[in-house]
Amino acid sequence: MILEVLKTNHSHDVLVVGAGLSGLRVAIELTDQYDVAVLTKVHPLRSHSVAAQGGINASLNPEDSWESHAFDTVKGSDYLADQDVVEVMTKEASRAVIENEQWGTAFSRTEDGRIAQRPFGGAAYPRTCYAADKTGHNLLHTTFEQALRKGVNFYQEWFVTSLVKSEKRVCGVTAFEIASGEIHGFTAKAVVLATGGFGRVYGHSTNALINTGDGAAMALRAGVPLKDMEFVQFHPTTLVPSSILITEGARGEGGYLVNKEYKRFMDAYASKDMELAPRDIVARAIQTEINEGRGFDDYYVHLDLRHLGKTKILERLPGIREISMFFADVDPIEEPIPVRPGQHYSMGGIHCDKDGVTPLSGLFAVGETACMSVHGANRLGGNSLLETLVFGRLVGQKVGVHVSGLGDVDECIVDDAAFAMRVKIQSILLRESGESHAEIKEELGRIMDNEVGVFRDQTTLESALKAIRFLKERYENIALPRCDTKFNYSLIRALELENLLCLAEVITMTALMRRESRGAHWRLDYGTRDDENFLKHSLVTLVDDYLKTEYIDVDLGQFEVMERKY
Amino acid sequence: MLFRVARSHKGKEITHYDLYKVDARKGMTVLDALFQIQDYMDESLAFRYSCRGAVCGSCAMLADKVPILACRTQVSSLKEVSSKLKPFTALTDTPLGWNAETEILLEPLPNLPILKDLVIDMTRFYDALESLKLWAEPAKGEESRIQSPAERKKIERYVDCIMCALCFGSCPVNAEKEEYLGPAALTKAWRFYEDSRVQDPKTYLESANVPAGSPLCDLIYNCVKVCPKGVAPGGAIRKMKEL
Repeated sequence: MILEVLKTNHSHDVLVVGAGLSGLRVAIELTDQYDVAVLTKVHPLRSHSVAAQGGINASLNPEDSWESHAFDTVKGSDYLADQDVVEVMTKEASRAVIENEQWGTAFSRTEDGRIAQRPFGGAAYPRTCYAADKTGHNLLHTTFEQALRKGVNFYQEWFVTSLVKSEKRVCGVTAFEIASGEIHGFTAKAVVLATGGFGRVYGHSTNALINTGDGAAMALRAGVPLKDMEFVQFHPTTLVPSSILITEGARGEGGYLVNKEYKRFMDAYASKDMELAPRDIVARAIQTEINEGRGFDDYYVHLDLRHLGKTKILERLPGIREISMFFADVDPIEEPIPVRPGQHYSMGGIHCDKDGVTPLSGLFAVGETACMSVHGANRLGGNSLLETLVFGRLVGQKVGVHVSGLGDVDECIVDDAAFAMRVKIQSILLRESGESHAEIKEELGRIMDNEVGVFRDQTTLESALKAIRFLKERYENIALPRCDTKFNYSLIRALELENLLCLAEVITMTALMRRESRGAHWRLDYGTRDDENFLKHSLVTLVDDYLKTEYIDVDLGQFEVMERKY
Repeated sequence: MLFRVARSHKGKEITHYDLYKVDARKGMTVLDALFQIQDYMDESLAFRYSCRGAVCGSCAMLADKVPILACRTQVSSLKEVSSKLKPFTALTDTPLGWNAETEILLEPLPNLPILKDLVIDMTRFYDALESLKLWAEPAKGEESRIQSPAERKKIERYVDCIMCALCFGSCPVNAEKEEYLGPAALTKAWRFYEDSRVQDPKTYLESANVPAGSPLCDLIYNCVKVCPKGVAPGGAIRKMKEL
């Protein structure tokens, strides 16, 4: 039972929360030298990294360069990315790709046997390495194999419920063992949050159902700032109706976007790059076509691959064909795919530097949950897989330096936190009647889709913020009357919803504050970029019980801030 | 639409079945139906999920006695499916009271212990990955290796495996012999054996040919029929046995 006082303490040098590519790569880096444990709410192979399709960017070709990759990334970010971080990522990109190839990833190949690269949105050179349209799957399975080879220690199906800290530093976490329903305390000298994005704040999202921003929400509650949360990437092409991702690779291979008048419309929005303009631009183009009455059934457009031919579709886009057939009854060899924009990626996240260091000593962040910031206001396709592998390794190294010679933490603080968490969960479980978390979640998804989406303005954002705060109040009274202790996924989903609600509030607040249009954040009432006032990162910190907001400077470097045109 | 769902509060065996009336919508998947039950009827119902797009391999189970991924299977398609699998007890024994015409029957994937309801203990399935050392020794040097498209093609269908365990749960040998390593692990060993980049491919073959490995396969090919990714494990094991 949950309230029984059990000996439920665990101690490690380093705890990594999350076992997608970022978390695994951190653990691989540290496992030889330190006592590392990875806590993950699903088996590592079920992590959302597995769903990445199109590829991973690296300037492998001598005709290409890291500088060109860096420029594309900075321009793609609408100049909000920190250029020192972009430099690290683009310089390290080839190393990361080659390392994974040497670990066994079966990249697609050129005729002469080199790693094949395809064109991707916003890139001046075809530098996106891929394994058909299952690149994330291949990288994740390979990286997991290497974690097994190294003997990485996993706590599988453990849901981390809070960060524990003393006055000065992080002390560990509390976590819920899904199999038993028990809360345990974990002490550690360092905690690395690698929990992925928070796409499930939205109703229409390409993200796995597990992407609920647990790490970012925990960090916020522990007083660690979140950065650039208003920048949410809407992928232009998600499948109707399920919002499953249809890779940018489909356009990279030559796919057309077509409206209900059977016209390719991208020339009106990005006459040079057409379908391969960056995601924010293509998503707005599609949404505009739909809003102006040129969408099919008023809510989607067509992605037409038929002219690519059967051979190319079967060889380069087999996963897309399978998804279209099983989830939309459409064979792209014969028919166009119905698509619309949907939430895809969280550019914002836990405020940290290029080593993953956060303002809380001993707490690190990496991957989609982190905001270093390498993607700024808009991420380029092929840069997120890259971020996980490059920074997984580098953050791992920094964590190693941090914990070397550091003394043990105070176990009592973790014990107390575990006790408090048991009390909190018990109080939810004891409530006999109240609100349904599923209804609150549905309502939240609707608000975010409709009012904090591709196009935003003050009135709808204000109405959204009010509605989210009301949902937060309703959440205080949720009940799970028939729940159970073992494998209580309902409770997990209720706890995830708490995280989603607090992130939704931050996203909406920062979207309101930013009175300009930049990258993925588009304000109908402030339709231009305003570098004078807003070439800055937003920061939100929970102080006592209010959210403090501020702006901090962007690291500008070799690339001059210019108008962004494609 | 009615769903008859296997329940097991304490694990090990199915203790009873609960009947739920689900509001069926166009395009609804089995996973959608399970969430409707958990969200609005019975929050104690346990099942695994993650990607809802047939890439993560979390939601293998039996629907109307057919091994499926819940997220990829539309409710409307179930009654049209005939699996043509070689039968074993878990695929043939039907619960009392099940009306196969009007009710969809959901049960945990067979051949692995039940932990609760539709959640099974995958430990044995995962352990085989470690006991067979199914990973590559990292290559040395500064460069990536050369592999021709034809060489890659040889392993492509095997690297597509998502480790969902549908093959393991549909295999009559796994149903009988707890020690059998199962189709997915053996196929992964073949994937490394066939990879032109691997230095010492024979070691993978040797570990797959242990007594609990490929010799136990009877080439029944249920695995080939249920695989959601076209991996065709049985084909790999046959080649392994022919060497």
